[in-house]
Amino acid sequence: MTDTAVVHQTHDVPQPKQHGKPGGILRHTSIVTGTALGLVAAIVTYAIGSHFFVPWGTTNADASQVGLNALVAATYFAWVIFFMIGIGAFAGPIRWALGHDLTHDDAEYMAGKDQGKWRYWKYTTDHKVVGTQYLIMAMFLLGLGGLLAMLIRTELGITWAEVFDPNFYNSLIGTHGIVMIIALIIVVTGPFGNFILPIMIGARDMAFPRLNALSFWLLFAAIPPLASNLFLGGIRDGWTVYQPLASQAPIGMIGYQVTIIVFAFSTGVASVNLITTSVTMRARGMTWNRVPIFVIGVIASSVMGLVWFPMFQYSQMLALSDKVIATSFYNPIMGGSVWLYENLFWLLGHPEVYVVVIPGTAALMELMVVFLRKPLFSYKVAIAGFAGVVGISSIVWVHHMYMTGWAPSAGYPFMLSTELISIPFGFLVLVMLGTLWRGKPWTRLPMMCVYAVIWDKVVGGITGVYLSDVPVDQYMHGSMFVVAHFHYMLMGAGLFAAIGATAYWFPKMTGRMLDERLGSIGFWVAFFGFQLTFGSMFVAGLQGMPRRVLQFDNAFNISNWLSTVGAYTIGIGMLIFLYAVITSWRSGKPSGSNPWGGKTLEWQTETPVPLENFPVLPVVTSDPYGYGVPDPYDAVLEADKQPAGVA
Amino acid sequence: MSIDNPPTIEVDQPEEPTNRPAADHRLKEWLSRGYVRRIIALSIVIGLLIIPLAWVVIHFMNLSGAPASAIMVEIERTMFVFTVVSAPLMAITLAILFYSLTGWGRVTGEDPPMQESPAIRTNGTAVVLWIAATSILAGFLVIWGLVELATITSYANGSTPANQQPNGQKAIDINVTGQQWVWTFQYPDQGAVTSDTLIVPINVPLYFNVTSKDVVHDFWVVELGIKIDANPGAITNTGVTPDKLGTFNIRCAELCGLHHAYMQTKIQVVTQAEFDAWVREMGGKRTV
Amino acid sequence: MSAPVTEPLYPTTGEPVSINARRNRMGIWLCIVSDITGTVALLVAYSYLWSLNVNNAWAPPNDAWAPPTTFWLIVLGTAVATALMWWGLRQIDQGNRRGLMLAASLSMLIILVTFIGQIVQLSTFPFGPSDGAYASATFWLCIGSAIHLSLLLFLTQAIMGRTRAGRITQGNSSHVRLVAMYMTWATIAILLGAIFATVMTTSPNTNSPTFGTFQE
Repeated sequence: MTDTAVVHQTHDVPQPKQHGKPGGILRHTSIVTGTALGLVAAIVTYAIGSHFFVPWGTTNADASQVGLNALVAATYFAWVIFFMIGIGAFAGPIRWALGHDLTHDDAEYMAGKDQGKWRYWKYTTDHKVVGTQYLIMAMFLLGLGGLLAMLIRTELGITWAEVFDPNFYNSLIGTHGIVMIIALIIVVTGPFGNFILPIMIGARDMAFPRLNALSFWLLFAAIPPLASNLFLGGIRDGWTVYQPLASQAPIGMIGYQVTIIVFAFSTGVASVNLITTSVTMRARGMTWNRVPIFVIGVIASSVMGLVWFPMFQYSQMLALSDKVIATSFYNPIMGGSVWLYENLFWLLGHPEVYVVVIPGTAALMELMVVFLRKPLFSYKVAIAGFAGVVGISSIVWVHHMYMTGWAPSAGYPFMLSTELISIPFGFLVLVMLGTLWRGKPWTRLPMMCVYAVIWDKVVGGITGVYLSDVPVDQYMHGSMFVVAHFHYMLMGAGLFAAIGATAYWFPKMTGRMLDERLGSIGFWVAFFGFQLTFGSMFVAGLQGMPRRVLQFDNAFNISNWLSTVGAYTIGIGMLIFLYAVITSWRSGKPSGSNPWGGKTLEWQTETPVPLENFPVLPVVTSDPYGYGVPDPYDAVLEADKQPAGVA
Repeated sequence: MSIDNPPTIEVDQPEEPTNRPAADHRLKEWLSRGYVRRIIALSIVIGLLIIPLAWVVIHFMNLSGAPASAIMVEIERTMFVFTVVSAPLMAITLAILFYSLTGWGRVTGEDPPMQESPAIRTNGTAVVLWIAATSILAGFLVIWGLVELATITSYANGSTPANQQPNGQKAIDINVTGQQWVWTFQYPDQGAVTSDTLIVPINVPLYFNVTSKDVVHDFWVVELGIKIDANPGAITNTGVTPDKLGTFNIRCAELCGLHHAYMQTKIQVVTQAEFDAWVREMGGKRTV
Repeated sequence: MSAPVTEPLYPTTGEPVSINARRNRMGIWLCIVSDITGTVALLVAYSYLWSLNVNNAWAPPNDAWAPPTTFWLIVLGTAVATALMWWGLRQIDQGNRRGLMLAASLSMLIILVTFIGQIVQLSTFPFGPSDGAYASATFWLCIGSAIHLSLLLFLTQAIMGRTRAGRITQGNSSHVRLVAMYMTWATIAILLGAIFATVMTTSPNTNSPTFGTFQE
C-alpha cells in the first residue's frame, strides 16, 4: 500500500556500529541477576552500615534510632538501585551517554524477539510483555490487599475479643490501604494502557519502550520494601501515615516511604510514556475526534498522576529525611507542621481517586458500545467530563482537611469546588446512560460490569455529596461512613470496572476466552457481598463509629457482623473469579482475533498480537463507534404518524 | 497470516431528518412511546423508595441520643434535604439502568449480535437538560452548604473567644488536650479544674481550645455534632451549646497509635446547679 | 516538518529523526512539568514553615542563617553552563562541531565545579539538619539543587560523549536542545530556591503557641 503512514524500512536505514551480539549486556541480565545483585548489595550495605553507623550496644536511644532508620533506608535503596542495575536498566542511558546507540537488532532483542516465555522475566521493552507483567502484578497486589482486608474484617467481626495485637491490627489497615491504592492505580492503566492502548491507536510500540520496562521494574523493585514492613514493625498509621504519628513508627515505616518514592518514579515515567504515545504516535487519520475514548481516559488519568504524584513523593521524602537525618518538617517541637504534611499528601491524595476511577470508566465506555451495538453517546460530552474532572480535581484537596483546623474559612471555597466536580462527573454518567438508552445489551460479563459500576457510582456519588458538605463532614469525617463511601468509589467503580476491562480484553491478551459462567458467578458473588459489606458500613458510620478502630461500642455490633459476612462473600467471589482467570488462561476456549465484533484497531490485528502489532500500519478513516442502524422513530416522525408501540 | 490491506473503519452515519415536526408534537410523540412511559413510572417508584431513606438515615444518627445541640440539628437537616433533593436524579439514573437490562430487548449467546441498536450519536435536548439539572442540583447543594456552614459556624462561635461573646452570655472556656490515649479537659475560668470526663451545664455556650501533646488526635463529640483535630504545635477552636441533658460520647476520630480505639470518654450535660456543685467538689471556683 | 530532504533516519524505528525529536521534546516537557511540582513542594514546605514558626522553632540556633552568597554562586554556575549549552546548540546547527564540543566540555566542567560547591555548601552550614525548621527546609532546598546538578552532570557529559562519538550532527542535534531545555528549567528551580533562601529568613509570625500548652 502506498498510503500507509510509515512503512517499516529497516534495511534502508543506516545503522550505528553493532557492538557484539544484538542486545549486548542485556543478553545476560534478567530478574535472576537483578535479584541476586540487589540482595547482595542490600546485605553488604547493611553489614557495612551496621558496623560503622550503628555500633552495637549504643545506649543513646535517639541516636541509635536515627542511625538504624538511616541504615534500613540505605539498605532498601541499595536493593532498588542494584536490582535495577542487575536487570540492565542502566544499559540504555549509559550507551546513550557514550554514543553507542541501539541498532535495530538491539531494539528487537530488547523487545523480546525469539525469547519465548523467558522474555517476561527480562528487561523487555515490548509493550505487550509489560502489559501482561502489569496484569499479573496487579492481581498479586489485589490478592495481598484482599487477604489483609479479610484479616481486618475478621478482627472487626469478632466483636467480643481482640483477635490481633493492636499494633498488628494497625499495620494491617495501613498495609491493606497502601497495597490496594498502588494496585488500583496500576490495575487499568498498567495492563490495558500498556498492552491495548498502543494497538488501539495503531502504533508499533510505546513512544519510549525502555521507559516502559523501567516503569514496571521500578514497581517490582518497590514491592519488597513494602511487603517486608510487616516483619519490621509494620505501617501502623493507616495508608495516609499522618505525621507525626509516623515518625514514632518502627522501621517498617521506612519501607512505606521508600516504596512511595520509587513508585512515584514508576508512575511518572509511565505517565510520560502514555501521554507521549497517545499524542504523537496515533495512526494516520486518527484525528482527535476519532480517538477511542479509552485513550482519552488514560491521558486524563496520566496527566493527574504526572502533575500531582511528585507532591506525594516529596511528602514522603521529607518524612524519610525526618527519620534518617532528623530534620523537623513534621516535628512540631522543632518547628515542623502537621498541616504541611496533610496538604502535600492530599494534593495528590485527592486526584489519585480520579487516577483510579477515570481509566476504569473510560474502559467501560469503550466496551459498552461493543456490547450494545450503539455509538458512544455524546463523545464530546465525555471528553468534556474527563477534562473537567482533571481540571477541578486539583483544587479540591482541602475537603479531606475540613476538620483539621487548618484555615477554617477554606471550607467555603473548597466546598464550592468539591460540589462543582459533580457536574463534570455527571457528564460521564450521562454518557453511559445515553449509551444504554434504547440499546439491546449483549449480556456478557464485561457488559454486566457496566451495570454494576453505574450502580456503585450512584451510591458512591450521592454519599460523596454528603461528605463534600462541611457541616455533614463535621459528623462523618473519620467515621466508617467515609470508609464505605470511598470503597464504593475505589472498589465499586474502580476495581469492578477493571474486572470488566479484564474480561473484555482477556481474549486479546491471552488468545483465549475468559470462562463466562465461572467468571460471572465470581463477579456477582463479589458484587452482592460488596453491597452487604459496605451497605452496613454506612450504617455503622451513621451511628458514629470511627474508622481504624479494633474495638467499639456494642451498638455497632450488628452492622459489623453483616460487614464481615459480606467481606467473606467478596473473598469467595474473588477467588472464584481468580480461578476462572487462571484456568481460562491455561486452557480456555481459543478466541480468534475479534470475538466481540469490536471496531477499534486492537481487534483488527491478529491474536496473538505479532511483535510489532501490525504488518502494515493502519490508516483510520472514521471514529470506532460506527455501530447501529438508523433510528426507526425518525422515520415515524417524518411520516408524521402516531407510533403504534415500542419498536 | 497477515493483513494485506490496512484495516479501516467504515463510516456509517445515519442521516439527520431535515424537516422535523414542531417541538410540541415531538414531545407528545416521545411521551407516548411505551418505554418512555415505563421509565417514568419506574423513576417515580424508585424515587418513592429513596425518599424514605432520608428518615432512615436520621433514625440511625439518632440511635445514641442525638441531636443534643442546634449544630447537630442542622447537620441532620442537611442530610435530610440532600437525600430528598438528590432522589429525583438518582431515581432517573437507576430507572434507566434497570430498564435497560431487558426493556429494549437483550441478546444472549456466544457470537457477536447481528441485530444492531439505534445509532444515536447524541441528543442536544438530553445533554442540555442533564447538564442543567445537575448544575441546578449542584448549585442548590453549594448554596445550602454555604448557608449551613455559616450557620453552624455562628452557633459554634468558632472565631470568638469567650470574653468577646456578642450576646452577653459568657461562654465557658474549656482547654482540651489530647495525648496518647486520653483526653484531658481543663476549665481555666473555674480555677483550672481538670477532669478526664467532660461535664458541662445545659444551654450554656462552650468554647473549646484544642491541642495535642504528641500526635494528631481528633476531638469528636458525637451526639453534639462537633469535631476538630487536636494538632501538636497548634491550637484549634470550636464551640457548641448543648441543649439536651444526658451522657454522650466523645471519641478520637484520627488514628493515633496503639490504643486509638480506646481513646474515648463521655460528656455529661447537667443542669447549671449540678455543674456548680461539681466544680465546688473538684475544688474550683464558682462560675461567674 | 521543515526537515531537509536528506534528513537522517532514526535507526531503531526507521523514522526521520525530526519525528523522533518531536516525541522526545514532548517527553522532556512532561518530565519538566513533573519536576516543577516536586520543586514547588519543597518551596511550599520552606515558605509554609517560615510563615507558621511553630513552637517558635523556625530560626536556627543563635540566628545563624546560611550566608546567601553561596546560593547565588550556585545559581550563577548553573546559569552560565546553561547558556553555554544553548550556544553549543547554535554552533552545531551552523555545522561547527568543535564549537559544540567546546561548549559541552566547558558546561560539564562548570556543572562539576558547581556540584562540588553545592556539596561544600551542604557540609559547611552553621547548623545541622536537626536544628529547627529553617535548617531542615534549607537543607532540602540544597539537596533538591544537588539532585538537579547531578542530573545535569550526567546530561552534559553525555552530550560531550555523544558529540565525540559523532552521534550529534548538523541535522540531528535535537538531544542538545533537549538537554539545554532541561538545564534551563533546572536553573530556574535553583534560582527559586536561592530567592526563597535569601528573602525568607526571620519568620513573620512571632506569637505562635508553645507546644502542648495554651500559652501564646
